[in-house]
Amino acid sequence: MRIERLRRACVALVSLSLLSVGLQAPAAAGVVGTAEAIAAGRSDGAHATVDAALARDDVRAKLAEFGVDAAEIEGRVAALSEVELQMLADQIEQAPAGGELLAVIGIVFVVLLILEFTGVIDIFKKA
Amino acid sequence: MNRSAPAVAALAVALTGCAASPPLADGLARDAPRSIELSATPFYPQEDYQCGPAALATLLRASGVEVEPGTIAPEVFVPGLRGSLQLEMIGATRRHGRLPYVLSTTADEMVAELAAGRPVLVLQNLGAERLPAWHYAVLIGYDAERNVAFLRSGRTKREEMRWQRFAKTWHRGGRFAFTTLVPGEIPTHAEASRYVEAAAGLEAAGERRAAAAAYDAAIVRWPNEPQAWLGRGNICYGDGDRNGAADAYLRAILLAPADAAARNNLAQLLADAGCPDEARKQVERAAALAAGTTLASVVATTRATIESMAERPAGCQLGDRAWPD
Repeated sequence: MRIERLRRACVALVSLSLLSVGLQAPAAAGVVGTAEAIAAGRSDGAHATVDAALARDDVRAKLAEFGVDAAEIEGRVAALSEVELQMLADQIEQAPAGGELLAVIGIVFVVLLILEFTGVIDIFKKA
Repeated sequence: MNRSAPAVAALAVALTGCAASPPLADGLARDAPRSIELSATPFYPQEDYQCGPAALATLLRASGVEVEPGTIAPEVFVPGLRGSLQLEMIGATRRHGRLPYVLSTTADEMVAELAAGRPVLVLQNLGAERLPAWHYAVLIGYDAERNVAFLRSGRTKREEMRWQRFAKTWHRGGRFAFTTLVPGEIPTHAEASRYVEAAAGLEAAGERRAAAAAYDAAIVRWPNEPQAWLGRGNICYGDGDRNGAADAYLRAILLAPADAAARNNLAQLLADAGCPDEARKQVERAAALAAGTTLASVVATTRATIESMAERPAGCQLGDRAWPD
């Protein structure tokens, strides 16, 4: 019972802190940040119509979906400019995420094993 | 870029990763060292999928920031992707007060950074185009005679990789590379726009003192770069230094009269300082300049706020300046 209450308190605390951080304006109202000014000066205009607040929410949701700890999300989102958040929101699924070679080696190994067992190849047999 | 054009062209060819790509020695600029190894660069063997945190901790440590991969992991690692994203590597660098300077897509800047004593974080694709295996490593040097690159990579403290293979994996990784600079430090080969954009990233991330140091250094190095002045103006504005902000915005507008952002910000500053008439005039100009750009809506908001302002008899606190037309 007490643990349950404690857990509820923690959840409330976390969502409250997320809310208060989220309410802080990234720049002073009425002033255009330098990063946004630079992006606006570019000719591509690829992100012209994307809402910055929407992109921020989108990145928050996607990071959570991909298993990032809720307590870490705000700090991570706050480290990026609006333009970068829009890029991330658009590309998170396709963007290269540096990890390591293990996954690929694993897949190749499994494929080779299947081929071995089905008799297509016999590279694992002793000479 | 002060390197000769043929050297750049040669390196660009070397890095396309085609079968005929020449060895490092053929593409190296004449004034570049024949070999470099930043052997004092720390090493953190990575845990599973954690090459991002390990590589970034290596880079930050080399730049004088006391961090461990364990500190960095919660800032960059994405469990569902089993890896770390480039933009988040950049963001985490900012959170530790360093300026992430993204290098150009030829190897010249890598070589110049190594020569300046800064290791380079690189994204490699160790797999194939269709079946990528993304990997972050830290380039700590090269040897042109032996045609190898030296890396802190994964669980290997000192990996020697044939230069062409390194170039190929970096090329397949999209030629992404960056170094960490102490704010205020500017590489000799740096490009004004790329440097100021990196400083603006610090500002956006709320690392305002770091951004201020970077803008100040940029203004000393490139006094005619309007965005550096805009940046300084924004820092001054945030600090409540109205005179400093006014001077910087005026300079930005003088250098780039068509910049809607500087106009908008000047208008907002004027409104705050009790100069509604001049604020109205500047916001009208800003609105005209911002039409059809990504800044149109934010300028419209500023305009609406200024237009709804009551006339203030207190008088303009920024009075004796010549405002731009």
